[in-house]
Amino acid sequence: MLRIDEGSTRHWLLRLLGFAVITFIVVWVPTQMSSSRIGQFTDAFILMIAAMSLNLVLGFTGQISIGHSAFFGIGGYTAAILIKDHGWSPGYTFYAAAVVAFVVGCVVALPALRIRGIYLALVTLAVAVLFPTLVRWKKLAWLTDGSMGMDSVRYEDVPVWPILGELKGREGRAVFMFWLGLIVVVATYLVCRGIVKSRFGRALVAIRDNETAAAVMGVNLTTTKVLVFGVSAALCALGGVLSTLKSGVITPDGQYVTLLGSIVFLLVMIVGGAGTLWGPIIGGLVYVWLDNTTRDIGTSDSGILGTLFGWADQSPATLILGVVLVIIMFAAPYGLVGLAKRLSRKVVVIIPKPTPYGLFGAIRRALEKLFRSRSQPAGTSTPS
Amino acid sequence: MERFFQYLFDGLSLGSIYALLALGLVVVFRGTGHLNFAQGEMAMICTFVVWQFNDWGVPLVLSIILGMIVGFALGAGVEATIIRGVAKKSQAGVFVVSIALFLGLNSLAAMIWGSLPPEQLPGLFPDEPDDFQRIFGAVWRYEYIGVLAVALVLMGLLFLLFAKTKFGLAMRAVASNPESARLAGIPTGIVLASSWGIAGAMGALSGTLWGGIVGELNAGLMFTVFIYASAAATLGGFDSPGGAVIAGLTIGVGEQFLAGYFPGWIGQEMKLSAALLTIFVVLLVKPSGLFGSTKVERV
Repeated sequence: MLRIDEGSTRHWLLRLLGFAVITFIVVWVPTQMSSSRIGQFTDAFILMIAAMSLNLVLGFTGQISIGHSAFFGIGGYTAAILIKDHGWSPGYTFYAAAVVAFVVGCVVALPALRIRGIYLALVTLAVAVLFPTLVRWKKLAWLTDGSMGMDSVRYEDVPVWPILGELKGREGRAVFMFWLGLIVVVATYLVCRGIVKSRFGRALVAIRDNETAAAVMGVNLTTTKVLVFGVSAALCALGGVLSTLKSGVITPDGQYVTLLGSIVFLLVMIVGGAGTLWGPIIGGLVYVWLDNTTRDIGTSDSGILGTLFGWADQSPATLILGVVLVIIMFAAPYGLVGLAKRLSRKVVVIIPKPTPYGLFGAIRRALEKLFRSRSQPAGTSTPS
Repeated sequence: MERFFQYLFDGLSLGSIYALLALGLVVVFRGTGHLNFAQGEMAMICTFVVWQFNDWGVPLVLSIILGMIVGFALGAGVEATIIRGVAKKSQAGVFVVSIALFLGLNSLAAMIWGSLPPEQLPGLFPDEPDDFQRIFGAVWRYEYIGVLAVALVLMGLLFLLFAKTKFGLAMRAVASNPESARLAGIPTGIVLASSWGIAGAMGALSGTLWGGIVGELNAGLMFTVFIYASAAATLGGFDSPGGAVIAGLTIGVGEQFLAGYFPGWIGQEMKLSAALLTIFVVLLVKPSGLFGSTKVERV
């Protein structure tokens, strides 16, 4: 077993290695793969964004939400309406969608202040059921085009970005959507990471672990819950915008806009690992991979699965997906990231650093000495 | 007035179907503390089983009993083999597993029965166009009266089981404190598996009744009913069987009134949303449902 001090050269090398691998994959996919593969990665990005946003509310704050498909749909519809009816450039709709969803998210959070657990699950489920019916409602058809949905919501011409060069045709569009998706994923990840590692994030975890205790410790439950729902909704809406821009269409029965969308987000998040920063990312990749692989299996007539399911008239894809999900939950009850953490701990142990190193550490220690003479600086646990 | 009674009566019949499925959800929740997302799909599969037996020539009443036995076996089997193993490790895992069951069972039904021409499930009761009785000017179809009667009788039997039998006592003991129940010699495993089984059997009946009203069976048969049922369980309080029945009937009647009296604004397509919104408002006032017990929190 390898022991590495946090912040040591070896730890930085390890981080650098991880970063290099991710960069290699990210550059390799859009340059070397077929455009349908690239599209699958973009699908994974969309799921990652939605699952990361859900993770803030469910994984870190412990407030169950089956209503995120509504936020996703709000993002998609905001983009579609602004682009089609008001002639906005698609790029700006990300900001608008985030703002609209933030407001809606804050409103949806209000019941969460009073309602808990399984009852909150139903309230958010109501939101998920309500959204598509509202969109389809004939009194709102002037805005949403009813059950027809809106189509050709996309970039008229793919913008020219400095490094990418000129992108043309279907393949160019796929590559462009990949990079756009990647930017949104990275931004979402950074927002989540920033929140989780901050004072606000500690408040979220405190609420998850014990609400009453958190309130006693001075966490303002109302503000914290409302804000986290708002931010989560805004992030989820980004996923919705991306999905709409990718497919170019949005309908009330569209992908991830109905209740099933919320369920998929939950699956992705829990399978990846709830309450971890990387969980939704891994979950998104695994889910899209599983989804596509099982669909391929469903169409083939040869091999073991062909013989097993040859009698069936419909594709067994979803059945296989269900079975695999059950197996994953048996093998990795805390998600794939939880499993990976447990396994890697047998190989490498990162020992947290006792006090901050470096120039900033020195300044911080000096300040801590000045202001907090009584208490010890945080994290003084000795390496074991 | 004629309309009032019509909506009331239709609502009661539909509501009794929601109440049956909701009762299943409550029985499972009281036993193991989980929301079984696959409850509706288990009911749907059992409905297909009933149809299949009936199609093979078994009399309908016997096929329904066989379907309920299959439902019991399915529920108990799922609890004993899958749910219990995952629940030991993680609660979120149970949620994923129940969703996986939802997806898997749905797909399985489509695979087995999907390509046949839409199956007609014969109604249990006479449902010719002229099989009705006029009471207070409203049309009381025999089919609806039968559904209501069957549902009420089953609920009555279930309450007898809960309140008067030793098994019911064991179920309540396990629900209130599994550890102590086990120490007192109650076979908790069997009790939990049977509570899932009972839920499955009730699902089978509610599916068959609903299938009889709808006429055509397909894999999406129970999805809306499941949403209504979970709404009913929530409104009534997730740990209160009586609450689930009252709430199920209330929701059934309420949606008929909302859709009937406000055809322009609510109508058929918005009635589910309207019902859910109303429940939402009720929950704001009573966060653990109308009859649910409030959880006392300790730090």
